[in-house]
Amino acid sequence: MSAPTAPKLSAPMLEGMLYRMAMARTIERLMMRHTREHKFSGWWHPGEGQEAAPIGATAAMGEDDYLWYQGRGSAWALGKGMLPGPILGDLLGKMTGATRGKGGGVPHWSDYSIGVMGEGATLGSVFPLAGGSALASKIRRDGRVSLANFGDGTTARGTFHETLMHAAAWKLPLIYFCENNGLLVGTRLGDVSPTTTIADFASGYHIPGVTVDGQDAVAVYEVTREAIARARAGKGPTLIEAKVVRRRGHYAGDPQTYRDEREFDDYRDPIDLLSARLPGNSSARILEEAEAEVQAAYAAALAAPEPDASVIERDLYYVA
Amino acid sequence: MSHEVMGYNAAMGLALVEEMRADDSIFVIGQGVATGGWFGAEKGLASEFGTERVIDCGISEAFEAGLAAGAAIAGMKPVVNMGFGDFALIAGDEIYHKLAKWRYMHGLDVPMTAVIIFPIGTMGGAGPEHSSCTEVLGMHFPGLKVVVPSTAEDAKGLMKSALREPNPVLFHSVQGLGWTRGAVPLDPEFTVPIGKAAIRRKGAGLTIITYGSMVSRSLDAAELVAKEGIDCEVIDLRSLVPLDWDCVFGSVRKTHRAMVVHEAFLTAGPGAEIAARIQESIFFDLEAPVMRLGARDFPLTQHADLEALAIPSTAEIAAVARRLATT
Repeated sequence: MSAPTAPKLSAPMLEGMLYRMAMARTIERLMMRHTREHKFSGWWHPGEGQEAAPIGATAAMGEDDYLWYQGRGSAWALGKGMLPGPILGDLLGKMTGATRGKGGGVPHWSDYSIGVMGEGATLGSVFPLAGGSALASKIRRDGRVSLANFGDGTTARGTFHETLMHAAAWKLPLIYFCENNGLLVGTRLGDVSPTTTIADFASGYHIPGVTVDGQDAVAVYEVTREAIARARAGKGPTLIEAKVVRRRGHYAGDPQTYRDEREFDDYRDPIDLLSARLPGNSSARILEEAEAEVQAAYAAALAAPEPDASVIERDLYYVA
Repeated sequence: MSHEVMGYNAAMGLALVEEMRADDSIFVIGQGVATGGWFGAEKGLASEFGTERVIDCGISEAFEAGLAAGAAIAGMKPVVNMGFGDFALIAGDEIYHKLAKWRYMHGLDVPMTAVIIFPIGTMGGAGPEHSSCTEVLGMHFPGLKVVVPSTAEDAKGLMKSALREPNPVLFHSVQGLGWTRGAVPLDPEFTVPIGKAAIRRKGAGLTIITYGSMVSRSLDAAELVAKEGIDCEVIDLRSLVPLDWDCVFGSVRKTHRAMVVHEAFLTAGPGAEIAARIQESIFFDLEAPVMRLGARDFPLTQHADLEALAIPSTAEIAAVARRLATT
């Protein structure tokens, strides 16, 4: 295996990861409050407790690498480098959002300049799209890696298999990154799948399949870093499975009658786990600063203009 | 500039070759494209451009179309030959959501070039899942451009435009016309603009609005009824999105009578939209209701004779023209 391109984790990198994780957590809290107060027109899909997987994975990606996310919450976009301003702008349906006023509870945050390629709202839809950008990189030899993020439930999708089959055969620079929380809304994964270990699928495609503790951002970083190095070296895809815990409902307001509180007896919060890895007591300051940045962005988003009617006609066709 | 007589599919292939020589970001993918293509359009491409740009795929239409969307978003210009228009339905999410809506729903003002080739229509008994005219789907979902060439010249010119178009194009090649021949301009800068119809026959008595496989039958029907004093104008739409309404309305304002003819199924086919728009927009210019002629609403059989009974014949087009002229 060639040398990994992302560095070993340093204290400043860990601090940056915690900062972005804390921003995501603050946005969670704001959106839950908005939903409770009926001020939110979209559907919020909480990502609380699942932040370590996106924060760890994106920290191992280069700015030019392509991210196709499907995850809950906002940590994928924040991790890849988006700021809370455009994220909150979309959630509140303001002109300052990344979608420029079209809104988003199934968010469509994107920023091509930093490889945030967006999300499809038909679950599991990013497999072939990520395959497409990976093929583009292979043809152009641009050294970029594409990461397809998905949940355990979408391994039932045909395109999960169609894309992985070709990507493995063609040795595309593609990372399949699964957040396995074991739940398809309320259905248990084991009720619809012969295995609850998604990494098992890798063997049929003759690629590495790695299971990692998805509550631990550092562990996620390490496996993603290795997979990316492998992909960049032309050795093809890796299937990473992060075992995560969905702390909240499928959507904000989900009564979750299908869950047992005892599921959370062993719950380990990603923020606590990452904070414990930081030297001294720097984490309290980082959490505070992250919350302040999000609160400022939130205030700005509240004050930002609402879209006017012309927004619905924008971006349908590109005019050269 | 000189011309060469060549087949319709070969003309599409010529456009691909010319544009691939000029633009490294174009690549072609599909089932069997590297081994020559099913209908000849990609013949010889792999030997000139290599299998890195002319790529054989497994049987995986959803992957192919989704890959096109992802590669286009990443700045490449993918061309996918889907084999048959019917297979659009296998890749519905990827074509009508992702290709059509990705840029819109993410609020992005960036180019996104992708050409999906859908061979459509009957070819003498290919059966109910290999003969459909699916072009109406591209009209229904906003965000795509939709073309259907009816001549070898247009097959080349529209393919050139599609490859230079910064929006996804559903390029419907007509199966029944694949081996028909015509004079094709060899000028590499020759294009046929997307969104421009062509008047194939001038006439003052009524307007036949058609495209694809029904253009030649409509012209034949026009000659039949011309002997009876009915003077048809025949419009070949060439593009369905955007549709050249100026050409359509201009003609109907002159003739005051219109009929739409297509090989696609009649019910909720493109003709339904075209007829409705004409009536909404220029009702008081009309002397008669807008008539429609399309395939009968049955799956197409694998028996070629039964198949032929399901789609409009020259005689049927002429019969509707006569009725329209005397209404």
